Amino acid sequence: MRLETRKLLDKAFSGLGLIAIAVMAVALLLILAPIIWRGSKAFVFKGTIEHRRVMLEQFGRGNAEKYRAEAAEVAAARAPVYQMLNDFESEMKGMERSERRAYKKPFREVEKGIKVLLGPIPGERMPVLLRQQYGQTRWDRTLVKLHEVLYSEEWDYSNPEAMGVLVEKPRIDLFKGTKLEPLFPYLEDHIEEMMRPKQTFYWQFITDTSKDSHIFGGIWPEVLGTLYLTLGAMLFAIPMGVVAAIYLCEYAKEGRVVSFLRICISTLAGVPSIVFGLFGLAFFLNTIHVSDSKSVLAGSLTLSLLILPTIIRSSEEAILAVPRTYKEAALGLGAGRWHTIMSVILPASLPGILTGIVISMGRAAGETAPIIFTAAVSVGAPLKIWETLSQPTPALPWNIYNLCTEHEAVDEIRHVQYGMVFTLVAIVLLLNLAAILMRARISKKLRG
Amino acid sequence: MSSAASRRQRFGTLLGQGFLFLVTSLSTFAVFFIFYFILKDAVPFFKEEGFREFFTSAHWYPSGHPAEFGALPIFMGTGLVTLGAIVVAVPLGIAAAVCLSDLLPFHVRQFVKPVIEVLAAIPSVAYGFFALVVFAPLLQNHGGAILSAGAWIILGPILALLVTVLGDLVLGRFSGSKKLGAVVFPTLGILAFLLIHHVARQLSGVEISSGTNALNVSVILGIMALPTVVSVSEDALQAAGRELREGSYALGATRAETIIKTIIPASISGILAAVILGVMRAIGETMVVWMASGNAARIPDPWYNMLQPVRTLTATIAGDMGEADHITGSARFHVLFAMAFCLLAFSFIMNLASEIIVRRSRKKLGK
Repeated sequence: MRLETRKLLDKAFSGLGLIAIAVMAVALLLILAPIIWRGSKAFVFKGTIEHRRVMLEQFGRGNAEKYRAEAAEVAAARAPVYQMLNDFESEMKGMERSERRAYKKPFREVEKGIKVLLGPIPGERMPVLLRQQYGQTRWDRTLVKLHEVLYSEEWDYSNPEAMGVLVEKPRIDLFKGTKLEPLFPYLEDHIEEMMRPKQTFYWQFITDTSKDSHIFGGIWPEVLGTLYLTLGAMLFAIPMGVVAAIYLCEYAKEGRVVSFLRICISTLAGVPSIVFGLFGLAFFLNTIHVSDSKSVLAGSLTLSLLILPTIIRSSEEAILAVPRTYKEAALGLGAGRWHTIMSVILPASLPGILTGIVISMGRAAGETAPIIFTAAVSVGAPLKIWETLSQPTPALPWNIYNLCTEHEAVDEIRHVQYGMVFTLVAIVLLLNLAAILMRARISKKLRG
Repeated sequence: MSSAASRRQRFGTLLGQGFLFLVTSLSTFAVFFIFYFILKDAVPFFKEEGFREFFTSAHWYPSGHPAEFGALPIFMGTGLVTLGAIVVAVPLGIAAAVCLSDLLPFHVRQFVKPVIEVLAAIPSVAYGFFALVVFAPLLQNHGGAILSAGAWIILGPILALLVTVLGDLVLGRFSGSKKLGAVVFPTLGILAFLLIHHVARQLSGVEISSGTNALNVSVILGIMALPTVVSVSEDALQAAGRELREGSYALGATRAETIIKTIIPASISGILAAVILGVMRAIGETMVVWMASGNAARIPDPWYNMLQPVRTLTATIAGDMGEADHITGSARFHVLFAMAFCLLAFSFIMNLASEIIVRRSRKKLGK
């Protein structure tokens, strides 16, 4: 090859490597950006008057006087809407039968849309379902629902070659010349007065329980469940993992037995997480019956097995990183082996062990598959600490799955889903950040 | 010290050591427990239904009358998705590992490492959420555009390299002058450009009927497997040592030649182990495939069609367990354990293979 080409190829090669790194960074950014951006909107958003009503009535939060004053103004702004609905209904009664029938269905749709948008019509019986007792609590959802009132959607299949096309038709066209006609421009023009959007910082999203399966309120049961599961897993995994690491590093003589043990540990690390879940079901629940149904205890035990290899390995690394001189000095001073381990080696390797523990905490918090069959339920109240022995719990990872695939109103609660993912990712990344910082301090200490 | 006290102390030490050994082996014997309990619930299925249908039939109707347990499409789906993930993760991962170990200066590396760590730390359900809520609608609505952009990103660098090499070969044959080079390189470049443009045009016409398909899952799984591939193969590349590199440079090789002809062959077994671990990560992943693969238990037509929904072993276990009878244990319950056992056996073999490979390579490099 010619020298120039070789140089060119060398540069191109470096370019390829850089492209790979760039693709990785971009992928990370593309994945995190929507989660962070839309997830933060579960906390910071434009809340309507309905949001403040939910807060006041369901959570006893906010200034009742101020709310009442605001509600009175809002009621005044909404009154013409209800008036127009009433007027049209009486107009309908005077119509010919066939004409009335033609109007009936579109009118019901409009009425239903307005109920969804603004909440139940004053003077009518309160609906049983909580979600029907309030209008839209968020301004972005309000605009979506307003659009649904203003336009009807129809699928157009007139072209048999192509796929169906969604067509929007203004509903106002259906009510030309009736008393309902002015309703649509009125809604469009006065929606702000009727809903009063205001910038809201709803940090209680994390600490509020959910109402009516996440339509209102926050994610406290899930957060608490995740905390229980993670801490429970640590409770079992830390002692076992650290003891195993001490044995493997300080006591065991390299040989058949130890290399066998090591193979076992690396096999454990390679077991797919869903298999851990099945094992938890078959062993902890169906064989030794740690509890009658799924429970936090069973889930914690399963998770602890999952993170055990990580803890053993990182603790081993931390113990091996302690300079030999420390140990020799302690032994030289006449300390016994056990004494040396407890008073010299463990304290010196503690930061390293903690780093491993923190990382595996993040892993335990985010794992879904092992808890599906052993601990997780979709809906549940926050548990008391003693209930964790026998009760299943909602948990962030499971409920993210559940809310975005099995919830009956998936599109209505996108903000809750994003908020949950955001919270989970934030928890895991904060734990990892802590580990990274700790590691940086350790390496500084060992170098300095 | 009296001999009695010394004996007592020795006894105490022995007891303590025994206790430590017990705890250690307890945590390692968990593996055997897992094998035993999965196998215990898998055996009834094989006894009742036999092996033949499970591995060769394409009819998966576990709730039908009579129930049919042909898991072939599910195995195929797992294989297809894993293959896709490898195609994404391996070239990218090895290129990134080379870049990290040999090309980037130390202070830049410190900013890249956290990227990998964060990619590894993000919970799988968050990846699944992204695949289902963000990526799938994008694929469905702008599938053609995304595919053609992908073609540019993948084919662009490859063809650019090819053009340089081919051009060089041509010039070498005709003991090239500068003038000839001015003709050969642009011609090849334009040809390559036209080729990519043609492919991208073809792809941009593709319409994807469902965004939850094998392609979606493969891309996301590939990204998830990246950190494993990168960090393990970077370790392997680092382990190749300074002397090899310096020897190669001393012979007049450029950096690219050193890496391709010396370092990668020297650390090939470590890289292989990295690939195996990446494959295991992709096969064992549950949430992403459950949420975003479409969960259709039929063989894509043709079998390599990535744009159709598929179903994998892990997703089947996760999804069907809720419907299977937990307590009495019907065939439907046991078939899931049979699948879990296949997963377990496969990951065990892969793990053992990677372990052996790594050990052998360490011996070879004298460490």
